[in-house]
Amino acid sequence: MKQIEGVMYQANAPKGVDPDGIFFVQVDPAKCEACGSCDEVCATGAIQAINDDGIHAVVDPAACMNCGQCLVNCPYGAIYEGVSYVDEIFEKLKDPDTIVVSMPAPAVRYGLGECFGAPTGTYVGGKMHAALRKLGFDYIWDNEFTADVTIMEEGTELIQRVKEQGKKNARPLPQFTSCCPGWVKFAETFYPDLMPNLSSCKSPIGMLGPLAKTYGAHETHTKAKKIYTVSIMPCIAKKYEGLRPELADSGFRDIDATINTRELAHMIKTAGISFNSLPSQQPDPALGDSTGAATIFGNSGGVMEAALRLAYEVLSGKKLDNPDIKVVRTHEGINTADVKVPGFGTVKVAVASGLSNAAKLCDEVRAGKSPYHFIEIMSCPGGCVNGGGQPLDPEIRASLFRSTVAQINKRFRARKVTA
Amino acid sequence: MKMNRRGFMKTCGIMAGYAVLGVNLTKEAVASAMDFVGMRQKSVYDADANSKIYKYRKSQDNPMIKKIYDHKNGFLHEGPCGHMSHHLLHTHYVDRSARLATLKDKGFKFNL
Ligand code: SF4
Ligand code: SF4
Repeated sequence: MKQIEGVMYQANAPKGVDPDGIFFVQVDPAKCEACGSCDEVCATGAIQAINDDGIHAVVDPAACMNCGQCLVNCPYGAIYEGVSYVDEIFEKLKDPDTIVVSMPAPAVRYGLGECFGAPTGTYVGGKMHAALRKLGFDYIWDNEFTADVTIMEEGTELIQRVKEQGKKNARPLPQFTSCCPGWVKFAETFYPDLMPNLSSCKSPIGMLGPLAKTYGAHETHTKAKKIYTVSIMPCIAKKYEGLRPELADSGFRDIDATINTRELAHMIKTAGISFNSLPSQQPDPALGDSTGAATIFGNSGGVMEAALRLAYEVLSGKKLDNPDIKVVRTHEGINTADVKVPGFGTVKVAVASGLSNAAKLCDEVRAGKSPYHFIEIMSCPGGCVNGGGQPLDPEIRASLFRSTVAQINKRFRARKVTA
Repeated sequence: MKMNRRGFMKTCGIMAGYAVLGVNLTKEAVASAMDFVGMRQKSVYDADANSKIYKYRKSQDNPMIKKIYDHKNGFLHEGPCGHMSHHLLHTHYVDRSARLATLKDKGFKFNL
């Protein structure tokens, strides 16, 4: 076990195994104080007391969506990560025969700086690209580029679905987003009957892996089999996604390794790079350039807004002068909106973060009562910026006593309300 | 649940909490956690609206998107949802409910 930015990690870099058998998060029983904060934030109930002492454990990987919300909310640091590719990536970076490619998600650049003392949320995208170059990554490609690709693909899919309604073999509405791996596993596990509603688009990282080893290899005259792709995410569930057996469309494993924001900070520190004095640098263009629509994928409501910036122009044939579609921006809970598109009509949308909110929208769809065309779902409250792989909220552990009391109060009050 | 070491600690925690800090702490703690998320969210929207960071704000305006989807020479020249897209960028899903059902049969309780 290794400590990384306040979280314990097992140095375990699985290959070719069934990810359904891996505990991506688990409780260290010696550290658990039985406070129950974790089972309050867990939508599925995968983490629960396993004895009379109230010691908690994730009881089975099949019930765990790997979102890591239990981990980031445990005031005692008792929950650890079961998978870490950090050591393997350091080896690949040293190997002159391996072309190592970076693929950081949007939200990483709004969290990474915090590990180096910057105020909460500081944007450090330029420094992040510079740090990846210094670490020795051969190509600084960026998952934001495929966030833009996702909009093109998923937006087009939505328009197709709307148009095919009433025809034979029409794909159903609403269309659900498929960017969030915790949510995708949740749908597959608890609502498999709604799988046809899930966009068939891979997530942005699911798209960048195969593009790196086909298009990227071609553009850079690199042998695809030498390319080692590193997905850098604000997320723990992305480690599960990277291991999905079907993600091998490039002819190789599409994603070779997955780390999160905390692990990237650890790598930068281990390499002795002075992050704060780095200049701001650009990614390498072919698979690196991105737009504002791509960066807002990090927020709950962001994919929706980005998709609407496309759908509006395609459906109306008009230019969208002000790209701000603030009604869909979502801080917590469920948000719904009617978006008027000239020449088309009303697009009805819903945005939810947190899997218990997702379940509410799923029940509506299951009952045939969902009025929406398009629903965006993210597992983590507020979106990827609050992902299970992001730097921890200092408030949760800064005062152990204070936060524990707060957690207990919360449960006490919650009980009173439901009693 | 019988009173044991950890249960006892928990009870002490509740009493000490109410005595020392009062009841409104919870609201504060939850609000501060969402403030923390809100600060990151605001930074995201600020970057989106900052033309020095993102020159374009719509995916369809990204020159590299135009290049990859170019009708003539683009890698994805058939456009979004074309053949190459379906091969590389789209996927299928797997019904995972059976494993959960097995666990439930064994007596495990979950929230859904
Ligand atoms: S939050 Fe941490 S200390 Fe509290 S019950 Fe869960 S694992 Fe144990
Ligand atoms: S990772 Fe998410 S789903 Fe798994 S136990 Fe923790 S909170 Fe529950």
